[in-house]
Amino acid sequence: MLVTNIKLAWQFYWQEYTSNHQRLLRWVHGLLLLFIVTLTLTSNSIQNYLAQNLNGLLGADVVISQKQALNDTQFKSVNQIASKVVVTQQINTTFTHNGQYQQAQLKAVGSDYPLQGELISSTSLQSEGEVSKQGPEPGKIWLDARLLASLAISPGEMLQIGNHSFRVERVLQHEPDRLMEGHSVAMRAMIHQHDLAALNFADDLVQYRYLIAANTQQRNTLITWQKSHLPAAQLFHKQGEHPLARFWQRTENFMGLASIILFFMAAIAIEQLAQVQMRKERYFSALCMSLGASKASCIQISLFKWFIGVLVLLPIVMVLAMAGHYCLVQFLTSTFTNLTWQWQLQPALKSVAAVMFIFAIFQAPVWFALIKNSVAKQFIGHSNTVNTGLSKVASILVLFIVAFIYSDNALLTAMMLIAVLSTVAIMLLMSWGGLTFGEKVTSQFSGLVPFSLFMMKQRLVSKSTQILGVGLCAFLLLFTLMLLRDLGQTMSMYQRQHDGNVFISQASSKQMGFIENWAAKEGIKVRQVKPYLNAKLTHINNLSLEEFSDKPSDSLATFSHAIRLHWSETVPSNNRIESGKWWQKETQNWQQVSVEQEVMTDLGLKLGDTLTFYINQQAYDFTISASHAFKPGAGSITFWVQMPELATQFIDAPHYTMASIELADTQWQLLAPLWQQFPTLRMVSLKEITARFDKTLAMVTQVIAGFAVMIALLALVVIIASIKAVEPKEQKKNSIILSFGFTRKTCLQLNMIEWLVTAFITATGAILGTYLAGQLIYKSQFSLNYVPDFIWLGMTLISILVVITGIGVFMSRQNLNSSIRSLLSD
Amino acid sequence: MNNYIELKNLSQSFAASDETITLFKALNMTIQQGTSYAITGPSGAGKSSLLMLASGLENPSCGEVNYVESNKRFSLDAIRDQIGFIFQQFHLLPELTALNNVALPLKLRGDKQAITKAAHWLEKVGLGHRKNHKPSQLSGGEQQRVAIARALVFEPKFIFADEPTGNLDPKSAQEVARHLINCCKENNASLIIVTHSNELAQHAEHVYQLANGKLSQALPFELEAEAC
Repeated sequence: MLVTNIKLAWQFYWQEYTSNHQRLLRWVHGLLLLFIVTLTLTSNSIQNYLAQNLNGLLGADVVISQKQALNDTQFKSVNQIASKVVVTQQINTTFTHNGQYQQAQLKAVGSDYPLQGELISSTSLQSEGEVSKQGPEPGKIWLDARLLASLAISPGEMLQIGNHSFRVERVLQHEPDRLMEGHSVAMRAMIHQHDLAALNFADDLVQYRYLIAANTQQRNTLITWQKSHLPAAQLFHKQGEHPLARFWQRTENFMGLASIILFFMAAIAIEQLAQVQMRKERYFSALCMSLGASKASCIQISLFKWFIGVLVLLPIVMVLAMAGHYCLVQFLTSTFTNLTWQWQLQPALKSVAAVMFIFAIFQAPVWFALIKNSVAKQFIGHSNTVNTGLSKVASILVLFIVAFIYSDNALLTAMMLIAVLSTVAIMLLMSWGGLTFGEKVTSQFSGLVPFSLFMMKQRLVSKSTQILGVGLCAFLLLFTLMLLRDLGQTMSMYQRQHDGNVFISQASSKQMGFIENWAAKEGIKVRQVKPYLNAKLTHINNLSLEEFSDKPSDSLATFSHAIRLHWSETVPSNNRIESGKWWQKETQNWQQVSVEQEVMTDLGLKLGDTLTFYINQQAYDFTISASHAFKPGAGSITFWVQMPELATQFIDAPHYTMASIELADTQWQLLAPLWQQFPTLRMVSLKEITARFDKTLAMVTQVIAGFAVMIALLALVVIIASIKAVEPKEQKKNSIILSFGFTRKTCLQLNMIEWLVTAFITATGAILGTYLAGQLIYKSQFSLNYVPDFIWLGMTLISILVVITGIGVFMSRQNLNSSIRSLLSD
Repeated sequence: MNNYIELKNLSQSFAASDETITLFKALNMTIQQGTSYAITGPSGAGKSSLLMLASGLENPSCGEVNYVESNKRFSLDAIRDQIGFIFQQFHLLPELTALNNVALPLKLRGDKQAITKAAHWLEKVGLGHRKNHKPSQLSGGEQQRVAIARALVFEPKFIFADEPTGNLDPKSAQEVARHLINCCKENNASLIIVTHSNELAQHAEHVYQLANGKLSQALPFELEAEAC
């Protein structure tokens, strides 16, 4: 019996293959499968790459990394546990040569470096790389090719760092412990450890890395030791997590979250198509039952038919996913060097199974309708109310499941969901309110417009589903494009307005004092000056960060490094209090902090929680007494965590300053001597920020554009599905209108009016939804003040009206293929 | 004989596989405004085709169909908005109430009194009390009465009805026939009914029979004999 049913399902599937609803269903299934399989394959390639990369590029079995050097006792302990320890030091500094300057990472190594792996260098840019047994000798420096080009210097020439001269000896090609810099685009240089000591940089600016050779047992002992003795340090090992793993997981989660939108649209499209499908399948199964078939057989045939439909798609989806995967791997090689493409069957099949499960949920109302079906119901007619409700519940269920699985930024997810649900509410309200009001107002009049409004009002349920489907597509496209446009424009404009054109991210007290004098002397404006000290968050309510939260988030990723802890007696002018109370000026309780609201939400913190910070090798506990948020208009330098000024009297740690200055065009040349004087001064010009930002924006643009194409394709499917769902009804309506003595022109006019009204509600809903999403997400996620451009929005409104009306009228032209003859022959 | 539709030397044939089937040849008929006609005949005789030609929905293979007013001839397209239809399957819009179904053609024409007139017509067909019911809540006979009201509400000069009682029980059929004939008369509309039912045909002023490609006017006793 089962084989017979499969054969029948196969036969019926091919009979319906060319029908419109099956074709559209294939598009919806195909697009979503393609998106998810490609995302899974890419993600898997990256996870594999990261695992191999960790083994090949750690340059040691275990690496301990922290700002300060280990003290003697700590170093002895490590040496006792491990077989061999090699130390490297790294600092960000600025190199100057013949008036040119360039920031780069300078690494100092001893003669025992490297511990594991190969150090590769060459004598010139053109020559082949050779394995070097050890790093540069004292007085020599090795530079990477980009740094050589940037400074216009060649091997053999002398290079100045501060007051010391180094002879450029070799071209640095590969360091075996580059894993930590895997995602950094900074230029590289290497010197001997003795020279770094001679340069006399402040010790707290130097990043120390201890490369350790250890077996499994020693590694486990080291992990336990680090947790108790060096909680603020970072420890990496070959079986552990890659530093980029969390970055990638967040990217993957973001994409996954974005896929909610695609699933939601697919749900709408499938729901529309299900109306046609339900009619056909009910009719068919009732017919089969009337001929003696059992209900179970009818349901089996329907299930097999659906299953065959998805299986038939798989070969083409797999081929396209392979191609998409290949393109994405090429695209990502700038971030993940040497990432290679390889086919993985198992993850692909797993994701196919997961997506098929979701499709099955969407399809469930059709099967449910078959269970409830009977021959008698075909005679007396029936209502679809329960099934329509069921399909909506199924869609919302899937929406929340996908959101739950992929969400790592609770606030962003909540805002995205609020924005989507609000848009749905706005559109439903507009459909209901607008059509009811329109119908009421025009009820005194007659003619095509009042008639269209009247008919739309009468078909409110099916019309609002159509509006919702089309509207959400418009909203998503609009938001995606707006984000792309505004992020670029607003950010650069905002920084120019408030931040000057040179940004100092870290200046010591001595450096800042010098800069202020230098600025006064040269007539340079200092815009903002804000002090801070470096603090590493180690515990929340006495739980380590790993214990406190195992979900990756933006905030947690930042807290894996030391953050800037600012102090202020009063609420900074660019902050506002969100909850709790800011401390009084004369407070004696210095162990309290205010935390940025988004960080609070992201980490699930609440007022009264205790945060433990390691500051200059000492642990300090703080209680959260307030939360604050960024207030635009008074400078953009803001801090996640702030404490009372009094705390600085109790905490022994170096103080730094963040600042911004405004240079006139003629004053840029003054920067070279400043950097020569202070090579470790972290200063970046707006030009560089813009260049970095443009690079990121270009990458984001490509990703978003790809995503927008997916949305546009699905939007088209949703529009067609919504038209096909009501095609028989529309054809009948048009035939009846023709029977009243009207022409096809009248039907076309009515059709155009209806699509114009649909497009108007859709576009207005989409714009309102986008505005709301902008208000919600811009400030909290990008610290930007959302300023809508009404001309742009107006133009968008007109564009959406034209596009949707055009597509709607064009795609529903089949509805006009109606005639009185068809009514006569019914 | 002021206004009428004239069917002159009408022939209709169509190609099926490799042969041409002729439904009727050189057929003549005049449909006077305000008069009722019934066309009967066996299945496949071409009754519905004749209805489509007479209403201008199709073009004949040969011959002419014209509307004549004060001895001037016009194409049927000129009175397209003066022609109404009634179908065997009623074809009411399921989402609209009876009242709104009837008001539909008037609303489209921009008539401000659409609802009042529709209510009046529903009263006429005896459904004033069911005006707010949707088609699914009405019986077959009631639905056809709504369809009659809808076809007459915009006061067309000619009404074409294809088996209007074909889906109804004898009692409902009688009632519908009565309403149909009376309302057309009252409105001075011509009624052309295509039917198998001799009971319905007997209500018309003129009865034609279409058989073997020929249209002939049937006498009342012939119909009775057929009915037996």
